[in-house]
Amino acid sequence: MLHNIGATDSGRSLTVEEISTWTAMEPEKIRENLQKLIETDCIHLDSNGGIEKYHITTNGIRKALSMYS
Amino acid sequence: MRICMLTWEFPPRIVGGIARHCLGLAKALAKEDHDLHVVTLEFPGTPSFEDVDGVKVHRVRVDLGHPNFITWTFIFNHFIEKEVAVLSRDVEFDIVHIHDWLTAPAGISSKRYLDKPLVSTVHSTENGRTQGLHNRDSYLIDGLEWWMTYEAKKIIICSSSMKGELEHHFRVPSDKIAVIPNAIDVSKYRRHVDQRAVKRRFGIGPYERLVLFVGRLVPQKGVEYLIRAVPNIIRQNGEVRIFITGDGWSKNYLEDLARATGYADRIRFLGFISDSELVELTVSADALVIPSVYEPFGIVALEGMAAGVPVVAADVGGLAEIVERDRTGVTVYTRNPESIAWGVNRVLSDSRYSERLIQNAKKKVEEVYSWEAVAKRTVEVYEEACRA
Repeated sequence: MLHNIGATDSGRSLTVEEISTWTAMEPEKIRENLQKLIETDCIHLDSNGGIEKYHITTNGIRKALSMYS
Repeated sequence: MRICMLTWEFPPRIVGGIARHCLGLAKALAKEDHDLHVVTLEFPGTPSFEDVDGVKVHRVRVDLGHPNFITWTFIFNHFIEKEVAVLSRDVEFDIVHIHDWLTAPAGISSKRYLDKPLVSTVHSTENGRTQGLHNRDSYLIDGLEWWMTYEAKKIIICSSSMKGELEHHFRVPSDKIAVIPNAIDVSKYRRHVDQRAVKRRFGIGPYERLVLFVGRLVPQKGVEYLIRAVPNIIRQNGEVRIFITGDGWSKNYLEDLARATGYADRIRFLGFISDSELVELTVSADALVIPSVYEPFGIVALEGMAAGVPVVAADVGGLAEIVERDRTGVTVYTRNPESIAWGVNRVLSDSRYSERLIQNAKKKVEEVYSWEAVAKRTVEVYEEACRA
């Protein structure tokens, strides 16, 4: 989903609140899922000035799109 | 000719085999002095335009997103279509060439806008990839695939088995279809590789044998049947390591399955590795296994054959056309761990037999599956489309 909405690099990363707006999921659930995806190198966390933002990694892009190719 | 090629993946954006196919074909066409423009999607860290060995690569930034994948594909197609329109101010294209349904909407619109023939390469079908149409997305993708075959002046597919699939599933007239096999760059495999050093780097002991899988970790690739074959392989051959390269949405399931075999310490998941590492690993392998349940072509078989590694391949689709039983490789039953183990054990336990397969396979790849030959045949199809 982060890929499809364009969160593919640091310049376009999103906060949990923004992801929550896109997905209509609870922020806590999103944090839990993002943590799992960070551990598998599919998501990268940027922490700039205390603001945490997330974007999909190149590894994550390949993995997410594998079902359509 | 002035060619406008549309693809959703082009290196380094590599999801499946389409990216490598487009790169190989585009480079070979450019080498023959065709004006080749590839319009593709952005990828982190890549420029919006670059010249790759004469191929003009235009990467489109998609400024709009949508959480639904199918909706997103229509959005990115719109951005690709706009890029083609901009390019067409300076280049009068002779042909529009699309690869799979993912760029079908942009290709069909561009065909109308430019009033030029459309050529569609169908690398695989949704019906084949998912072994039937089981949900709404699959029905939609299937419909788009039919549309791209309907709108195309000529359709390129990579194997006779795919030709049958299109004729049967989409009712495509036979004379509209051209079978042109995939190819590979064999020069990649001609460099010297210190196999012992490579094995050492990957933690493989000097007496251990390497059985390799290369591909996306999705059900159609049949990796689970290779994993289920591992106990049987190890029982017969002892010191064997199984390396699984590639990534995909089935990975977690496959890792669990590997643990369930009791041989998780012998099975290693490497994820996505660089092209250079992949060549080194393939050359250093003692067997390359392709256990697919659906494979329109199977370019990885060619890579193994060029690398000089015995290929053990499931007897399905295009694979059955590339790998000749007991001549250029070992064919095994699909979805059958016992058969896969038998094939692997055969090449690991008979070095003279393996050597014969390797020599035959190398010869066949160099003679039949070169990009030069594929480009020549593709231009003939373009010319037929322009005349039709």
